[in-house]
Amino acid sequence: MTTHAPTRDRIPTADPPPRNKRRRFSWTPYLFIGLAVLYLVLFAVVPLLKGLDLSFTDTRLLNPTGGTYIGFENYERLLGSGAFFKSVLTTLVYTAFTVVASLTLGTISAFVINRKFPGRTLARAVMVMPWAVPTVAVVLVFRWIYNDSSGVANAATTALGLGERGWLTDPDYGMFSVVVATVWKVTPFVMLVVLAALQSVPEDLYEATRVDGAGSYSTFKLVVLPFLMPTLRVVGLLMTIWSFRRFEIIWLLTGGGPVDATTTIVIDVYRQAFNNSQLGVAAAIGMLGLVLSLIVTAIYFVLELRANKQNGANA
Amino acid sequence: MIGRRRLGTGIRALLALLLTCLAGFPLYWIINTAMTPTDVLFQGGQNLVPDFSRSLQVFSVLTTDTPFLRWMANSAFVAFGTTLLSLLMATMGAYALSRYKFVGKGPMGFLFFATQMLPEALLVVPLYSLFAALGLLNQLHGLVLVNTAFAMPVALFILKSAIDNIPYELEESARVDGCSPLSILQVMVVPLVAPSMAAAAVITFFDGWNEYLFATTFIEDRSSWVASTGLASFIGEFSTPLDTVFSAALVFTIPAVVFFLLMQRKIVSGLTAGSVKG
Repeated sequence: MTTHAPTRDRIPTADPPPRNKRRRFSWTPYLFIGLAVLYLVLFAVVPLLKGLDLSFTDTRLLNPTGGTYIGFENYERLLGSGAFFKSVLTTLVYTAFTVVASLTLGTISAFVINRKFPGRTLARAVMVMPWAVPTVAVVLVFRWIYNDSSGVANAATTALGLGERGWLTDPDYGMFSVVVATVWKVTPFVMLVVLAALQSVPEDLYEATRVDGAGSYSTFKLVVLPFLMPTLRVVGLLMTIWSFRRFEIIWLLTGGGPVDATTTIVIDVYRQAFNNSQLGVAAAIGMLGLVLSLIVTAIYFVLELRANKQNGANA
Repeated sequence: MIGRRRLGTGIRALLALLLTCLAGFPLYWIINTAMTPTDVLFQGGQNLVPDFSRSLQVFSVLTTDTPFLRWMANSAFVAFGTTLLSLLMATMGAYALSRYKFVGKGPMGFLFFATQMLPEALLVVPLYSLFAALGLLNQLHGLVLVNTAFAMPVALFILKSAIDNIPYELEESARVDGCSPLSILQVMVVPLVAPSMAAAAVITFFDGWNEYLFATTFIEDRSSWVASTGLASFIGEFSTPLDTVFSAALVFTIPAVVFFLLMQRKIVSGLTAGSVKG
């Protein structure tokens, strides 16, 4: 971290040049950012408020303007029902497995690719490709791999003497299958980001520890890992909030099944809205899910602040 | 010591092979399934080597029996539109956030971050009624507009950090010489952050190319579908042969993968300069 500080200081910050410090009001920044802000207000904030409004009504899909206000009834019913908490739990399980697996695999991949070996260019190209494969194509091929009678997953387990599994039809395996497909798709993102961070580890840091006689494991623990931690925390946060809201891959693989085994909060939202035509209930579930993401983000920023304070104390 | 290093190299090579196979297998399986006749597929005896001699036949079935090429063109329109609109707004917004102090900067920054948390599944209903009111349903332009709302903030963060990292002195002297902020941005800043712009462009392009939920909900007319909707419509229906379905998946995947591989180095350097720097 210490080698980083001087560069940070040299980089001019957002402050205008000192002479202009007696701030005169300027329209310029507002003109520059105004379009983007208005855009998000129109396409994100307004729909969000509309969703909040819906969550206090009993609106139905077929009569979207005919709902009446029912106060907190949707929320009370949700918080009093086991089904909602089950979808929260499912979301947490899906998120935890996806985040841990993709961070681990992505970091290992980055370390493997960071060193020279024969065929590295090819290996690297293949290892990043899944990120570029469109989700619907990912779903198609994984559905085919998991196919009960003709899928290669069952062919493999049978060959290994483990027998067949209902990868997408057995409630015990649904979550596993969805997590595997997700991790396959998102790991390259972690790998690319960690790789970028690894390549910015200053060479003299390695040198210094090597001169001190540290082995490769302790070099990793003492030098590389602390250097990577901020990156891993950011990627971890992104992976977490993306997992909370991930819809397409789960919906198209299992539709939330088998028997609700993969019904995460967003799947629940969509089902309530479009299968049960309960727009009000769907909006309420979505709002509670949003609160959950906000809590996670807040926890992240607290941890981040604490880590920064510790670094400051060490420096 | 040398022995240990050899061992390390060996383990690394094995790991690399294993990871490459894991990452590559589903891709290879898309190709292989597209190149195997459907009746063979369902007999459970899928060959391990793709029969490329079938490729012409398979792709001609795809183009004559399904409107897939039309859907691909629609996807391209949506993806390019999303990229252009996102980059335009993101570059200007990032410049303001990076170089100016102004009232409301903090809340605006939070607004951009917060959109990363909003689930599409929650917004799809209110957006549907908004789009119905604006007459944007069943229009590819509408998809560009909604995709941009989700893609633009990501581009903005990548570009903001890139601009944070370039020195301010040049711009300062240009400003003293009386250049307008817009021309400074165009002539001096944009060329310097070109790698990050490329990274942001690829990421926003993918958002537009991949998006499924809004595309499926907002567009009913089959000829206006995008490729993701069209491809998903093959799931669970049995009138389209499986090899045709997989050739469609392949045709849909190839442009994204090729584009991504061409831009890969730029993406890495863009991310290095970007938000996730250690």
